[in-house]
Amino acid sequence: MIYTLRHRTTYRYGRPVRFASCSLRLRPRDGDGQVVQSSAVTITPSPASAVARRDYFGIEALGITVDVPHTEFDVEAVSRVEVSRPEPPAPESGLPWDEVRDAVVASRDLGADAPIHFLFPSTRVPLVPEVTDYARASFVAGRSAYGAANDLMHRIRTDFRFDARATNVHTPLAEAFALKAGVCQDFAHVMIAGLRGMGLPAAYVSGYLRTAPPPGQPRLRGADASHAWVAVWCGDAWRGLDPTNDLAVRDDHIIVARGRDYSDVAPIDGIVAGSGRQKLKVEVDVIPDGEEACGEPEAPALALAE
Amino acid sequence: MTPLGDLGDAAGCAERLARWTAGYSPLPGRPDAYLAPDGSPRGAWPRLLDRLGRLSEPEMMARFVSAERHIRDAGISFRVYGDQREHAWPLGSLPLVIEADEWRALSAGLVQRAELMEMILADVYGPGDLVAGGFLPAALVAGSPEFLRPLHGLQPPGGRFLKLYAADIGRGPDGRWQVLADRTQAPSGMGWALENRMVLARTFPDVFDELRVERFPAFFQAFREGLAAGAERADPRICLLTSGPYSSTYVEQAALARYLGLLLVEGDDLVMQDGRLHVRTVSGLKRADALWRRIDADYLDPLELNPASRLGVPGVLEALRNGSLVMCNIPGSGLCESGALGAYLPGIARRLLGEDLKLGGPPTWWCGDPDGLAHVRDNLDALTLRPAATPQRGAGRDAILGPQALAADRERTVAALRDRPFDYVGQELDPLSTMPSWERTGSGLHLVPRPFVLRVFAAHTPSGWQVMPGGFCRVAERDNLDPTELRLGIRSADVWVLSDKPVDSTRLVQTRTPRVRRIPGHLPARAADGLFWFGRYAERAEAVIRLVVAHLRSIGDALATDIRGNPHGPTAERIRTLLTEWGAASAAGLPTAILAQEALTGREVRGSARAHIESARRNAAMLRNRLSGEAWRVLADLVELLSLDPGRAFTESQLLGRAERALSHLSALSGLSQENLNRAAGWHFVDLGRRIERAINTCDFALAFAHDEANPESLGVMLALCDSQISYGARYLEGVALDPVRDLVLLDPYNPRSIAFQAEAIARHLAELPSLSADGVPEPQCRLAARIVAEFRSSEAADFDAVGMARMEAELERLADSIGARYFARGPEAMRPHKLAGLG
Repeated sequence: MIYTLRHRTTYRYGRPVRFASCSLRLRPRDGDGQVVQSSAVTITPSPASAVARRDYFGIEALGITVDVPHTEFDVEAVSRVEVSRPEPPAPESGLPWDEVRDAVVASRDLGADAPIHFLFPSTRVPLVPEVTDYARASFVAGRSAYGAANDLMHRIRTDFRFDARATNVHTPLAEAFALKAGVCQDFAHVMIAGLRGMGLPAAYVSGYLRTAPPPGQPRLRGADASHAWVAVWCGDAWRGLDPTNDLAVRDDHIIVARGRDYSDVAPIDGIVAGSGRQKLKVEVDVIPDGEEACGEPEAPALALAE
Repeated sequence: MTPLGDLGDAAGCAERLARWTAGYSPLPGRPDAYLAPDGSPRGAWPRLLDRLGRLSEPEMMARFVSAERHIRDAGISFRVYGDQREHAWPLGSLPLVIEADEWRALSAGLVQRAELMEMILADVYGPGDLVAGGFLPAALVAGSPEFLRPLHGLQPPGGRFLKLYAADIGRGPDGRWQVLADRTQAPSGMGWALENRMVLARTFPDVFDELRVERFPAFFQAFREGLAAGAERADPRICLLTSGPYSSTYVEQAALARYLGLLLVEGDDLVMQDGRLHVRTVSGLKRADALWRRIDADYLDPLELNPASRLGVPGVLEALRNGSLVMCNIPGSGLCESGALGAYLPGIARRLLGEDLKLGGPPTWWCGDPDGLAHVRDNLDALTLRPAATPQRGAGRDAILGPQALAADRERTVAALRDRPFDYVGQELDPLSTMPSWERTGSGLHLVPRPFVLRVFAAHTPSGWQVMPGGFCRVAERDNLDPTELRLGIRSADVWVLSDKPVDSTRLVQTRTPRVRRIPGHLPARAADGLFWFGRYAERAEAVIRLVVAHLRSIGDALATDIRGNPHGPTAERIRTLLTEWGAASAAGLPTAILAQEALTGREVRGSARAHIESARRNAAMLRNRLSGEAWRVLADLVELLSLDPGRAFTESQLLGRAERALSHLSALSGLSQENLNRAAGWHFVDLGRRIERAINTCDFALAFAHDEANPESLGVMLALCDSQISYGARYLEGVALDPVRDLVLLDPYNPRSIAFQAEAIARHLAELPSLSADGVPEPQCRLAARIVAEFRSSEAADFDAVGMARMEAELERLADSIGARYFARGPEAMRPHKLAGLG
């Protein structure tokens, strides 16, 4: 499947911002069953400097500075990505979870892709004893790592309520867990904490999900959203699992970046020199080839906090 | 101090020694620095105690008092984390003494360890052979919060990760030194060691000289050269990046900056421009070539490390990558503080150095290793369980489970070992060893054994690793306390390394003759800001005190008949109103003595003289590296003078006495800044602050006491507030009248108290300060000052009615803002927490 992706983020400031220094992580990842055919980002006002850098995990970040006073900051990324992944294995297949764990700990691999980096607590995913205890029920003796992770995903999908108003981008994991509610970011963080608590490496994956427009209606412009899910190390491969949708990852998921948690892959972060309030608007389109984007430009955009 | 060596008193000396040490016996199972297990004294201790024994007890007490006095005067203090107050520095008066031979062996062990840490860092952030070869588990690196991935692949400028290494050490059960914790991130304590040395060497100069104690200067000189090593420019500017005035070790950092001649900076004093690090100074941005960071690496760069940090400099890692900045220590060095490293150091030493570890730590087992886990599980009763990856915090303070754990804790721990065993290490920790410490009881002094931890330092210098001859020693005040962190109940001790050769008694010297230089570098914007507000607050305190004095005097003054005994006459009423408007009194209707006490010493009112002095001191505290010891002492005296027990009532004359003494202290302070502050830039800002504040206050005075209907008595108060009665009396014989008074206190450019005089002085200061523009066009604050000066030169007394005065006051406030915008502006978030907008 080939997708055209449009991800536009607009910040409006109450008072002029004199200087901004940001990292943009908007270019989809090559590999993992994806080929990026093109990717371009348009920034307004145009930056004084822009340097692309790959971080330790290979995530490409575009470091930009803007040094003209501005009250609106607009970033639009447009990419074309071909996605073709094999069918996910059967849910209970694969190596036993405790063997996977012991092999990771004994490993001498510290390379960028090494699972060991994803075994420990990270900025946004602390180890929470209650979450570990919750996850434990999925980790029966002799079960495969992939099987345990699938079961955990399924339980999260069942026990947690999707509610965009329950949490925001800064809600701590323990709080979202106590609420048993949240958005894809919370679902992913909870699942990662559970997997790591039991000793399995788990990564946070940011990207997009293909959605079907309402039956009989055209796709609304800007109505899609950025998405997040989990990759779990199964001893021989990373496998994608989407706890928000209780779904193994295949061709409907488009990966932008894989990191330890949201803070490694945040699409835009940085520092602005200004004192006023800011308003944020995000529009995302995920358009499969063969389907035209049309519809109402004034349609209400999803305001996902990022 | 009395001359020492009453050698005829040998009997007295022996008697004192016997009394001090009677009942001294090492704690069971713990090595003691002074007594061996068989009860015989060790090493140099008999020499030290014999020498001290020659001092009579009153003499000894007198020296203790003088040490405490020095600590207070020098402002040596510390903060407990989360506590607003500073605490007096708890220096014990008995040093830890170590003999030359023992020290040499210890130093060799430290140097070996430091070099090993350097090699580990170079490998982990570089080729990764240790992990690939199985000498260091990948999990210990990946699991450490101090493994900073953005630094991977960095070629550290100057070729080294570590410029400073420290270790907390104690004696093991066999009496040998062992390392309880490694410090490779941003070790603190050298400044405290320096301060301890200054106090103790002053308190016991005779003993110090006789015992031939190793001196510090050569080490610090070498350390400073090490900080600069590898810098791009030949004459590098070295900055100490502090964690800020509210950090527990700020005083220490400031002391080091002063002693080593480094620029003390906070994160928002620094800025990246064109890939290089710069300091914001009053002369614009200036290169920073070397940085000694005292903040944890995570906070260093919000762009690449912790985005929530407000302490760091966005983008500063770039300067490390392009080689334009050298740093002590390179971010990520904290990796070597990991608790589990101890289990692998011996093997790594053999691998990398081909040597055995000379200075080891407690036996350690990592639970991520199946054999280690088995050992720990089988020996839980004898081991302490600690986190594997996070920095070890010393003698068991971060323990999760100790040998004496409760059954419930044990259960929890066993569970923890089940899910993620690799997060833990088991260690065989012994109780801390002890050293003698003074205890004062009713019957006098005696010595008791107290647990201690010694922090020792090694610096990488152009001639290799050098160990600081001494250290920072913390001593518990009870025998069961864990003295790894400074808290109340912990004393510190100087550490005397005794030389077996004559000691090098040179002061901090340059190895090269420095180039003669009169401009002492560029003043950082923050320092200028602090100096400016120091001046303003001191002046503001003076204005409040003058009002109180005027009020109290007028009541007692036989000549001021119309308000004598009547504290509610119109002039007295105006004084009270002004004090209330200034926030110095909570209500104008208070009884005179209570109102005066509140205005002078009130803690609850934000505008009392005491509150202003404390604000001045707070600003001065950020400038500890710029203010002379005398000025600091006067400030301490002032605070003491203005600290009256609010529960006690004072008479008016007592309060008047206090207030007048406070005024003399304030003029001493102003004299000190006239005489002692370097004229290059610092003095300009103190004086600017003082002049602006005085001009604004005088406007307020004039509005209240030299208004159009002011009577002679009110004008008399005006003259008193401006300290201008004598000038007036010499000039006019006819008694007080409105226009002459106004002329004298507002317009007369020869009266150092007049507003015109302040304006001329301000304009002169501004003209002498550096300009940012090369085009010769005056900067805005200079134009504003010029306009104010011109207005005074071209006005006459009658122009200054209430409207004219108020307009002038507004102009002066604008000038103050304009000075701030030009010289002190930092990031938009750099709002200062304790700054008030102005009086009234």
